[in-house]
Amino acid sequence: MRLAAQAAGALDGVMAADEGRTASEDTKELFTELARTRDPALRDRLATAHLGLAYQLARRYTNRGEPYEDLVQVASLAIVKSVDRFDPERGVEFTTFATRTVIGELKRHFRDKGWAVRAPRRVQELYLELGKMAESLSQELGRSPTVPELASATDATEEAVLEALEAGQGYRTASIDATDRNDETLASHIGDEDLTMGTVEDRQLLAPAMARLAPREQTILQLRFGQGLTQSEIAARVGISQMHVSRLLAASLERLRKSVGTAEEG
Amino acid sequence: MSTDGQAGVVAVDLAIPVKADLVVLARLTAATVAARAGFGVEDIEDLRLAVEELCLSLVRTDDDGRLNFAFEYVPDAITVKCCFEPQPGWDGAASGVVDDLSLRILDALVDEHGREQRDGKLCAWLRKRRAPSTV
Repeated sequence: MRLAAQAAGALDGVMAADEGRTASEDTKELFTELARTRDPALRDRLATAHLGLAYQLARRYTNRGEPYEDLVQVASLAIVKSVDRFDPERGVEFTTFATRTVIGELKRHFRDKGWAVRAPRRVQELYLELGKMAESLSQELGRSPTVPELASATDATEEAVLEALEAGQGYRTASIDATDRNDETLASHIGDEDLTMGTVEDRQLLAPAMARLAPREQTILQLRFGQGLTQSEIAARVGISQMHVSRLLAASLERLRKSVGTAEEG
Repeated sequence: MSTDGQAGVVAVDLAIPVKADLVVLARLTAATVAARAGFGVEDIEDLRLAVEELCLSLVRTDDDGRLNFAFEYVPDAITVKCCFEPQPGWDGAASGVVDDLSLRILDALVDEHGREQRDGKLCAWLRKRRAPSTV
């Protein structure tokens, strides 16, 4: 969070350059200067000044199975990209342009990695197929394919495509849970118990512990509990025996238990 | 109501309790209407995020009531309207303030959006046009 504070401070510094002007005018002027000079220091200054937006958006889309830090990284890179690509003459506010870019990059990130929902295997498989097909059709058609086109290309029904897209995005109550108004969440104030909340809390607790495991152990746990593969299926995919998978799972879970127990006590 | 998007308006109404895990119904409805209207998957993803954001922009953390959605597809555009119908005795003093981030996200995802009071209810709406290159 210190970086966010630094970013906010930098933004104040940039925007307070002239009290009689609006922040928007100052920003536009700085971008015009950047377009003219391509000054790396100014580029850095503008990117840093808008890092707060990256943090805000990353927080908005947490709880979808991806670590907050990763989302911040994706969003921050998107801010830099936005600074490089922004054209102040187009009449769009930088923050609008940057928000669009950051959301686009976050969507792409979730498309590649996000599996917050333990979706049925057939849905996961269709989602993965859709991702590849959408990319190929986009290149072929020069536009984003429609649902009927994707359904036809993957030999699935339109309903199945919509279901897979919904599940694949890691959607659940994510951004509503993540709202930071008064540091409270909508879900926390809704009377009935949300049965998926425990999963999210567990995931948040597990994420740092998972990160400490060896890459292969992480993969095996993800395949077993994220994708619901059997030990035999994992063995075939990773190229080791089912017994070895069983031993690795047991050892990894034991390490996770200890790690989480330590974190909770701390 | 018509089911032919080129000939007229396709309208779908949906009412859900203010429960976070039911917002999926609004997202799916929006996605389904958009798919029927020939929107590309990128636009559908944007619409899903925008519908979620629309809810966030309307409902406070401690609100209790129902969200009434109206999804309309007119040629080349989808409009989603959402009104919050609070439970009797609801104190609306804290509601009606939308945070900047919600507005910024909606700016980025849709072509137009706004808020209004209708029959004493707080409503928000958005409109997303179909990308010109889409069939």
